[in-house]
Amino acid sequence: MDSAINAEALTKKFDDLTAVDGISFRINEGECFGFLGPNGAGKTTTVKMIHCFSPITSGSVTVFGKSSNIDNREIKMMTGVIPQEITLDVDLTVYENLMVFSRFFDIPRTEARKRIAELLEFVELQAKAKSRIHALSTGMKRRLLIARALLNRPRLIIADEPTTGLDPQVRHLIWQRLRLLKNRGATLLLTTQYMDEAAQLCDRIVIMHQGKILREGPPAALVADEIGKEVIEVRIGREEDASLIARLTDVACGHERAGDTLFFYCRDGRELMKKVVELNLPNVLNRPATLEDVFLKLTGRSLAE
Amino acid sequence: MVPTLIVSLGQPLFYLITFGIGMGAYMGYFGGKPYLYFLVPGVLVSSVMLSASFECLYGTFVKIVHEHLYDSLIATPVSAEDAVAGDIVWGAFRGLISGILMLIVAGFMRIFPASVGNVLVLLVLMGFIGVMFSSLAMIVTSMAPHFDFFNYYTELFLTPMLFFSGVFFPLDHFPPWMKIFAQFLPLTHAVEVSRAAFTGQVSMHLLPNFLYLLLLEIVAFCAGVKMMKRRVVK
Repeated sequence: MDSAINAEALTKKFDDLTAVDGISFRINEGECFGFLGPNGAGKTTTVKMIHCFSPITSGSVTVFGKSSNIDNREIKMMTGVIPQEITLDVDLTVYENLMVFSRFFDIPRTEARKRIAELLEFVELQAKAKSRIHALSTGMKRRLLIARALLNRPRLIIADEPTTGLDPQVRHLIWQRLRLLKNRGATLLLTTQYMDEAAQLCDRIVIMHQGKILREGPPAALVADEIGKEVIEVRIGREEDASLIARLTDVACGHERAGDTLFFYCRDGRELMKKVVELNLPNVLNRPATLEDVFLKLTGRSLAE
Repeated sequence: MVPTLIVSLGQPLFYLITFGIGMGAYMGYFGGKPYLYFLVPGVLVSSVMLSASFECLYGTFVKIVHEHLYDSLIATPVSAEDAVAGDIVWGAFRGLISGILMLIVAGFMRIFPASVGNVLVLLVLMGFIGVMFSSLAMIVTSMAPHFDFFNYYTELFLTPMLFFSGVFFPLDHFPPWMKIFAQFLPLTHAVEVSRAAFTGQVSMHLLPNFLYLLLLEIVAFCAGVKMMKRRVVK
């Protein structure tokens, strides 16, 4: 499959700060690709270079064969961006916001009217077409942002932290919509800090930290490789660490101490749990391994900035 | 839009009525007509200047910083230069509306330009200086870290310019250095052309005025677009 997006040694520097440090990756057409990382990792900056919002310092990235920084207008024509902030025009109604935006893509008015009707239905905002922006809830504003990003029927859809600050119903509605878009053939690029979002939506992800890519791959494979299948958390004093680890090494495939908790990773929880129960430890939790464990293992549990 | 329109219209109107009628009663005649007739052309272009400037100062700032509208614009095929140029034209349009409203008010006071041709001259002038003052304001907005910064521009440039440009009184009795200084102020030239349109004295002798305005407009427009682009695209 031809890659939709191809980045080679992509770099972005702001004066002294290197926000993105020579990263390379390939994104295939029709897949949902996620950029994960703590704040300041460089995910949003990378994505901004892909859709030609931010000029590239060095390296290159091509989108469906067109080069960012050179063929900007063509790339923007086939991209739809769902931004992180609410960038709606408060002077206009919902309908007017969409109509004005469609003009930026030179979509003729009759065609625009048709698409706006479809999209309002897609995000379930038909009833609010004539409302002013300040009359909408945050969830509605985000749905409007999604509708707006789809006006030009983009081949590439970029969602920058699409469900930040939303309640569970709206989150699931948005996930459903994004999955539907992917099934219709669009290539989806996601930046997120929500592990469950990445695990639910993304075919492949990269974990970024301080401008570099640490790991790349499908979420399930990353979890299996880095952690295992299950995690057992034991809240116990540091003094007990050495003895506990010694006793559990043959059943656990890894361990980590963070704060007041000792984490044990394993491929099969039952053996490990049996031993832990034998030791009669209080404050024990057995749960499946998640992307969050991978994320925290690779990027550390302390604040990076 | 309506509140800012009222504010930027209110100030010139206020001058017109208080100075024109109030003070004018105590003053002699200027070029054979009462003071009010002298005042109108200057106040007209001032209202265009203020409306256009305010729109591209406060209006644009809100769009960038508070509504992040420029961010969503730049993600579309519309380039940053197009977006800024559009904003400048919008500011000029607001200035034009102000100017037309002032013309209507002057009409109610029975003060008209010398002929229909002169009305056209005035409309062209207003559109022209609208773009110029919008561009100048854009330069300021591209550098402003916060709202208060605009005070430098409005209080140290726009407001003094009102008083040094021949809006309220002729420049004849200024000392030479002040006359020369006044020639560098764009409003001075706009006022001269406006006054000529009202007294019916539009002719080639106004060419230097137009040329000055044209030059300033081109420079300001290019600088404004470039500097705003630098602010908005990172």
